[in-house]
Amino acid sequence: METTVFRLEGVTKRYGDLVALDNVSLDVGVNEYVSFLGPSGSGKTTLLRVIAGFETPEVGRVFFEGRDITYQPAHERGIGFVFQNFALFPHLTVIGNVGFGLAHGKTPVAPAEVDRRARKMIDLVGLSGMEDRGVDQISGGQRQRVALARTLAMQPKLVLLDEPLGALDANLRGRMRNELRAIRERLGVTFLHVTGSENEALAMGDRVVVLDRGRIIQSGRSDEVYDTPASPDVAHFLNRFNLFEGRLADARFTGPFGSVAAPVARRSDRDIYAVRYDRMRVLPAQAATDGPALKATFVASEYLGSSIMNFFETADGKVVEMEHHLSLGAPDTYEAKRDYILTWNPDLAIVFGREGR
Amino acid sequence: MADLTASVPRRDNTTRLLLLPGIIWMLLFLITPIAMIVYVSFWTQTTFNISPDPTLASWKQFFSSDTYVGSLWTTMRIWLIVLATTFLVGYPTALFVGLLVKSKTLATVLLVICVIPFWTSFLIRVLAWRPMLGKEGAINIILLKLGVIQQPIEVLLFTELSVVIGMTQIYCVFMVGPIAFMLARIDRNIIEAARDLGAGFGRIFWKIIFPLSLPGVVVGAIFVSVMVLGEFATSGALSGRKVNLLGNIIVTQVGSLKWAMASVVGVILTVVMGVVIAGFLRIVDLKREL
Repeated sequence: METTVFRLEGVTKRYGDLVALDNVSLDVGVNEYVSFLGPSGSGKTTLLRVIAGFETPEVGRVFFEGRDITYQPAHERGIGFVFQNFALFPHLTVIGNVGFGLAHGKTPVAPAEVDRRARKMIDLVGLSGMEDRGVDQISGGQRQRVALARTLAMQPKLVLLDEPLGALDANLRGRMRNELRAIRERLGVTFLHVTGSENEALAMGDRVVVLDRGRIIQSGRSDEVYDTPASPDVAHFLNRFNLFEGRLADARFTGPFGSVAAPVARRSDRDIYAVRYDRMRVLPAQAATDGPALKATFVASEYLGSSIMNFFETADGKVVEMEHHLSLGAPDTYEAKRDYILTWNPDLAIVFGREGR
Repeated sequence: MADLTASVPRRDNTTRLLLLPGIIWMLLFLITPIAMIVYVSFWTQTTFNISPDPTLASWKQFFSSDTYVGSLWTTMRIWLIVLATTFLVGYPTALFVGLLVKSKTLATVLLVICVIPFWTSFLIRVLAWRPMLGKEGAINIILLKLGVIQQPIEVLLFTELSVVIGMTQIYCVFMVGPIAFMLARIDRNIIEAARDLGAGFGRIFWKIIFPLSLPGVVVGAIFVSVMVLGEFATSGALSGRKVNLLGNIIVTQVGSLKWAMASVVGVILTVVMGVVIAGFLRIVDLKREL
C-alpha cells in the first residue's frame, strides 16, 4: 500500500453561479503519475490551481504530506507548477530561468550552488549546451523542457502540469510524453497532469481521473477506465466508443440496432449502449445476422498508420465509427454511399441503464 | 531565372518611389533647417544687422557668459529632476493601471483620465498653478487654516520648485502611457510562476516586472526628456523669469532678432537632445521589444 502524499477532502470552488469544483475528494500516493482527463470547463485546471495554491476553495481541505495547506500561499507549499504556455521569463536565458527559484526563492542558495544545480537540471532534461540561449531562441519542445527543469530544480515532492503538451506539435508531443515519464521515474516525484486528450491521459497516467462538471466521475488505472468506463460520460470522453440511446428492460437493450440481450448492465441515469470502435464488424447489406444489426451508409475512411477508421452514417444522421487494426490483416474496402450492416459481439458491449447495478 | 533578375530592379524602383516623399520631407524640413541653424550660428551679428561673414563670436560669447552657461546647467538640472519626479509619480501609477487593474476597460478609462488635462490649452494648464501655489494661493490657505503653518510658504511659486511641479504634472502622462503599455503586456502566468518558485513581491518586482517594463521606461523617458529640454513656457509662466532654460534664451534672442546667438543655443540644445536619446537607446534594444 502506497503512502498518501496528497489528499483533497470535499473541495468545492465557485465562480459566481458557476460551480467549478463540486465536492471533490481524492488521494494521491507517493511516486504516482495521475492524469486528469475532462472536457474544457470540467474544472480540471481549477483543480490544479487549487492544489497549487493560486485559488482557495470555499469548502473543503487540501492536505499535502499530512499538513493542511488549504490556506497556505502557493510558494510555501513546495509544489511545482508547469504552466500551459510555459510562462518562461522572456528576458532571462535558459539557465537564468532554471536557476530563478534557487536564486530568488525563499531560501536563497549561494550563486555557485545555483549554477551547479541549474546545470544539472538542464542536463537532466537534455538541454546541455543551451544554457546561455535566450528563451525566445529555442524551439517549443525545448521551452517545455526549460519550464519543467525550472520547476524540478526546486525539488518539489509534487509537480502539477497544466496541459503541458498542448502547445507542442503531434510529433514532439509523443517524444515529450516518453521524456516526462522517464524524468519522473528518475526523480521519484508525484506528477499530476491535466489534459484534454484521452490518448495522453491513457498513455501517461498510472491512474486516470475523469472529471466532468466539477466532479470526479471515475478514477482508476488506465486499463480499468478504458475497459470498464463507469458511466456513459466517461465512455464519451474516452472517444473510443460508439454510444447508442435506447431502452433497457428485463435484461434486454432495445436500440436502433434491434433488441439485444444485456445480462450485465451498469447503473446509470440513462439507458446507453456502448461498443468500442475496434469491436465493430461490417457485413454486406443483405447479410443475415442473429446479433445486433445496424443499417448504415459508408461515408469515408481515414488512415491512421496502425489502423484505419471507417465512418458510417445511420438513417437518423448519427456517425458510427469502426476501427480496423492493420495487424489483423488487410482492410476491406467499402464503397461510399453504399449501405452496410454493422454488427458486433454483444458480450463485448458495455450497457448502462436505470435497471443496472 | 530571367524573371528573378528582372524583378529585382523593379522592386528597387518601388522601394525608391515609396521612400521619396519621406526623403524630400526630411530634407526640406529637418536636414536643411538644422544645417541652416549650424551655419547661421557662425554668422556675424551686429546690433541691428546680421551678415554671413563667418565668425566664432557668438559661440565665444555663449561660453564666456555666466548667464548662458548657467542656463545650460539649469536646463540639465531641471531635466534630471523632472525626469526623476515623473518617473517616481508615473511608475506607481502605471503599475496600478497596467498590472493591478484586471479589467482592460477600466485600465483604458484610467489612461483616458490621465489625458483629460490635455483637453485644455497648455497655457491654461500652466497658469492654473499660480492660484494654487501663490502666496495667497489654495495650498497656503488650506495649510494656514489647518494650522500646519503660521506663515504662508513663499517658495511655492516663482521658484525652480514651481517649475518642477508644473512640468511634472504636464509631462507625467508621457511616462505613464508607455510604462503601462509594457506592463499590460506581461503574461500574468509569468508572475504566478515566479511566485510558485518562491520569490517574494520585492524579488518578483526587481527581477521580473521592472526589467520587462524597462522598454516602456526608456520610451517614456525619451518623451519627457525631449519635451522638457525644449521647454520655455512653463518656466516662463511659473518662475517669474527667475529660471532661464535654453528654450527661454532662444525665445528672447529671437525676439530681439539676435539670430546668431539663437542658433548657437539651438545647436547646443539639439546636440544635448541627441546625446540624451542615444544614451537612453543604449539601455534597451527597442527594435527587439516593439
